[in-house]
Amino acid sequence: MIGLLAHNALLVSLAAVAFGAILTPVAIRTGRQEWLQLVYGAVYTNFLLVSVAAGSMVVALVTHDFSVSYVAAVGSRSTPLLFTIISLWGALEGSILFWAWVLGLYSAAVVLLHHRRPGNLVPYAVMTLLAVAAFFAILLVGPADPFLPVFPVPADGPGPNTLLQNHYLMAVHPPLLYLGYVGMSVPFAFALGAIFSNEAASNDWSILSRRWMLASWGFLSAAIIAGMWWSYGVLGWGGYWAWDPVENASFLPWLTATAYLHSVMVQERRNMLRLWTLNLCVATFVLTILGTFLTRSGILSSVHAFTTGAIGYYFLAFIAIVLVTTLTLVAGNSERIQTKGKLGGAASRETVFLLNNLFLTAVMLTVLVGTLYPLVAEAVRGVKVSVGVPFFNRMALPAMVSLLFLMGVGPALPWGSTTWADARKRLYPPGIAAVILGAIAVIAGARSIYAILAFAFVGYAAMSNLREFWIGMRARHRAHGESWPTALVRLVAGNRRRYGGYVAHIGVLLIALGITASSTFRTEREATLTPGQTLTVSGRTVRLKNLWGREEPQRSVIGATMDVVGKNGAIIGTLEPRMNYYRVSDQPVPTPDVSSSWRGDLYVNLMAFDSGGANATVKVIVEPFVTWIWFGGLVVVIGAFIGLFYSSRGTGAPALATNSASAGPTVANADP
Amino acid sequence: MRYAALATVAVAVATCVAAPARAQDVAAPSRPSATATTTTASDSALEAQTTAVASTLRCPVCQGESIQDSPSDLARQMRIVVRDKLRAGNTPDQVKAYFVSKYGEWILLDPTMTGLNILLYVIPVLLVVGGLALVAILVRRWTAPETTTQ
Repeated sequence: MIGLLAHNALLVSLAAVAFGAILTPVAIRTGRQEWLQLVYGAVYTNFLLVSVAAGSMVVALVTHDFSVSYVAAVGSRSTPLLFTIISLWGALEGSILFWAWVLGLYSAAVVLLHHRRPGNLVPYAVMTLLAVAAFFAILLVGPADPFLPVFPVPADGPGPNTLLQNHYLMAVHPPLLYLGYVGMSVPFAFALGAIFSNEAASNDWSILSRRWMLASWGFLSAAIIAGMWWSYGVLGWGGYWAWDPVENASFLPWLTATAYLHSVMVQERRNMLRLWTLNLCVATFVLTILGTFLTRSGILSSVHAFTTGAIGYYFLAFIAIVLVTTLTLVAGNSERIQTKGKLGGAASRETVFLLNNLFLTAVMLTVLVGTLYPLVAEAVRGVKVSVGVPFFNRMALPAMVSLLFLMGVGPALPWGSTTWADARKRLYPPGIAAVILGAIAVIAGARSIYAILAFAFVGYAAMSNLREFWIGMRARHRAHGESWPTALVRLVAGNRRRYGGYVAHIGVLLIALGITASSTFRTEREATLTPGQTLTVSGRTVRLKNLWGREEPQRSVIGATMDVVGKNGAIIGTLEPRMNYYRVSDQPVPTPDVSSSWRGDLYVNLMAFDSGGANATVKVIVEPFVTWIWFGGLVVVIGAFIGLFYSSRGTGAPALATNSASAGPTVANADP
Repeated sequence: MRYAALATVAVAVATCVAAPARAQDVAAPSRPSATATTTTASDSALEAQTTAVASTLRCPVCQGESIQDSPSDLARQMRIVVRDKLRAGNTPDQVKAYFVSKYGEWILLDPTMTGLNILLYVIPVLLVVGGLALVAILVRRWTAPETTTQ
């Protein structure tokens, strides 16, 4: 019943988005602007209908309505309520439905915020969003229909994938991921809208689209970090990144979006890189679709890859259509889009941004090649090949470490140009921090040149970015006699985009530090303990107290209670690593327990146990500074948030640079 | 001199690219005699070597994890095989070859640098080298006096 309602809602929504997408060019070509109100009405209608469908699914899940095919596939009476609700995005069909809902939300927001803007940019952008929505609506009434009727109605279902119902972060990571992924459709829509409406040669479209990209980027950054945290908490090996295809799929659009956020500044100030920036918008969108295709079609086997039938071909066809359409459009209009700008000088922030874009693109393509290569090898050589951690570390880390260095160089150099003597004066001081941090790393025992360089560059970039705050605060303090905290607040508020960027840099550096330190100085030991026995790893001691078992509605839990023993022999904490045996799966899900502090984690995983309770095999991992990764993620999000709400009238207003190519010195002065 | 910044980055990148090759050499010293004489030093060397080899072998029942990282039983058994073979005097390459003969090339997380696989290693390097050259050319062109463009 509710399935039929939702299915019909989706059918009508398909009609609405198709109608809106087709009506837009007709309304514009025939000069009937009032028809655009119908288009916008279609956007709102679509959002309403998809909300009805998604809401119906939640109701069906919560009420255990197993006559709905998706509920029969992922629902279970014994699953706790939270995990029942979040299984909305736990499998293929539900996640497509969720995607369509988020896209409906974004489209409605775009219309709501921008519909008053004169010109054809917004209508054409809306048309693009509606066309994308039509693709997902087709999936939802076709190969990914979650509302198929089931006869006879089963009494119970298997419940969600066990890995996905073992950790509360599954309630956080996927929505953030979708908000990031789907949000990147908006800059893409503005990019196409700019071409259609002949506005690609001005900066107006990027001023509109870059905030959407920044917001999506913030969501995607948070999602990636939450995903890392999830795998750290669930997979039981104390790691957080395995260059798994799913992880790569989320990382690829992040890289191009990051490149966009930098290149768009060069575009606005220098009137250059216009075509490149537009292509980054397109690439980011295509990578989100490709990522969904890779992870949802089951073509690469992975945690998230729910194997299904025809849907992969729909995705491939859609990617092909998007690529052919946009490449034709971009190629056909490149002469008009491209403008001839000039750099003030080689020693400038612009040059660093070019290098930044080069390395981000290189990392993206390297990861893309490595992720897709197993498919190529299987097709060409007929041999299954793996491309895993050692490959990605060797091939992607050099460029990533170089990027850390550039993060220190960019903020130190001014826009426009400077003399090489001045450049040296700006670039040398952070070198002190590089030497100090590099030396600390060596003394602490780092021997890999990678790790040492990463530590040094993190130090360099951190000091360089912090120095920007210091210089600005000192200037305010001296000029206006402001107290230091006031100076900081006013400095950031006065140029939110710039300082938001620096805050995001610092967040990325904290993440880089956490990753480098925890992977370099990680120590682990595995041992079989009888109750009362202790195991010491890198100065941290745990003692097995006892083994226990407990029945829960959806699973059986075997746990070990471990005391954390301090230096003086006192018990300073308790850890309870468990193994969860879900009814629906033969494989137990490891559930490590972690004692965290700012200095790092003590991570204990139960590997095996004696069924009589006589002993337990545990793996104890000491990972210094791993908590800095999660904290850094928070700082990145704060940075994005600050940057999102800058005033376009504020200092450093990019419109300054659009008029002439010879505006070099003026621009350089605008941003001291 | 003028392009010192570019050169610095190029050197940094070259160092990074060259580094892992060296790191591998260090991580995998050939250890011919390691029978039963259990001094702690040789034990930890064996452990380090086992870890290095196990990190490059894929756990057959997992989602792309190495047998070093995977908590599964099979991975644990495979780690024991790796350790035993190394202790018996096999080189890391021989151990890997043994697993390839049992499971196929798929077992290696680090694809061999042969045949079509070479593309995997060549493409990224070409991208960076070509990209650096392109950036150098563009910066030179975009900062040149007005007369040279057009």
